[in-house]
Amino acid sequence: MPLNIDFVQILLHMLNFVILAGGLTLLLFRPVKKFMAERKKYFEDKEKEIAEGMEKNESLKAEYEKRLSSVDAEIEEMRLNAKNETATAAKEYINNAQEKAAAIISEAEAQAEDRKEHILDSAQTEIGELVVEATQKLLENNATPDRTHELYDEFIKSMVRDAQ
Amino acid sequence: MKKKISKRRAIFIVVWLALIFTLLGLIIALKEPPGEAESIKEVMKDGVLHDKNKISLFGILDVNPALISAYVVTAVLLLAALLIRIFAIPKFKYIPGKFQIVIEKLVEFFDDMAHANSPHKTGFIAAYIFSAGVYIFFSTLFELFGLQGVTTEGLSIALPAPIADINAAIAMGFMTYAVILLSGIICNGPVGGLKVLKDFSLPISMSFRLFGALLSGLLVTELVYHYVFLSFVLPVLVGVLFTALHALIQTYVLATLASTFYGEAVEPRKKHT
Repeated sequence: MPLNIDFVQILLHMLNFVILAGGLTLLLFRPVKKFMAERKKYFEDKEKEIAEGMEKNESLKAEYEKRLSSVDAEIEEMRLNAKNETATAAKEYINNAQEKAAAIISEAEAQAEDRKEHILDSAQTEIGELVVEATQKLLENNATPDRTHELYDEFIKSMVRDAQ
Repeated sequence: MKKKISKRRAIFIVVWLALIFTLLGLIIALKEPPGEAESIKEVMKDGVLHDKNKISLFGILDVNPALISAYVVTAVLLLAALLIRIFAIPKFKYIPGKFQIVIEKLVEFFDDMAHANSPHKTGFIAAYIFSAGVYIFFSTLFELFGLQGVTTEGLSIALPAPIADINAAIAMGFMTYAVILLSGIICNGPVGGLKVLKDFSLPISMSFRLFGALLSGLLVTELVYHYVFLSFVLPVLVGVLFTALHALIQTYVLATLASTFYGEAVEPRKKHT
């Protein structure tokens, strides 16, 4: 053959390259590519994770800013609510107190009335007793048997008169 | 004081050795070449055809020395790949070290090239151009080591770069064409195959480009080596430069061509409505 071309040697070269290509692909190319793909995925996941974190932080920040801007109004509303609640509670307390006071007063009045009546009763009794006692003493000092009989008679007569 | 003496001594030794080598060079250069030496014509012819010196392949067949070189390169590359696979790849880290960067860059370079030139299908062609690139690059650099082989005539010769043999270049060219053609048929049917067949000159151009590029470097180097007075310093520059540049350029050219033609062959057909 011209140029020393030899088909057997060409085939031997092809065989050599096929063996080499297979070996290099299996031993070097694929494992390295696999490793690089794994690493790429790892960093992509990390990046995604960071982006998600950033997004979450941004939304939290926005939410906090929104809340901060509305916090004055919220505080005012809370203050008004508290004031109203306090006023209601105070009013209720006063009403209760007034009711209680009225009840106490009425009870006290009733008790006082009872007491008054009781005192009047006992005073009347005592006065009666005193009158009786004084009368007895007076009678004891001024009474004579005749006068006593006279009084008894008068009494009986008045009783009869009342009965009639 | 001691440092001063040792520095002086070093300068003296360098100057002394330079003087000796210069004198020796001049003596050899001015000497008449031996009568039995190969003529430049014979050297060039052997460099191109490799028809004179043969090496026995396991006693089965007498082959060109380049085939032995090819098997040596393959054995070394496979051994290196095996060692890397067993000892280095399991220890790869997400933040790579220097060696890991080199390996990753090598794989990434061919993978990116496959993606750029053949965006539709990349898996197979990426592995193919990676293997072809590594093979061409290291087999071209192989000649720098000057490994010796024994010819069937009992002579010692330096093993050449495998691609410097036309058989190796033809094998690479036709195999690449076959890969492109078969991939075109598999992906796009007979029409895909026809698309590749119209570039019937591709295997020949690929083969002869590889062979020619390597051969030109070889011939210039042989020319430089042939003349004794050019044998000092210059061969180092010429040899290394030619070899290293050829290694890089031919790797890049073959990988680019293979991936581009592959990309065209496997590109999905546009449906005209």
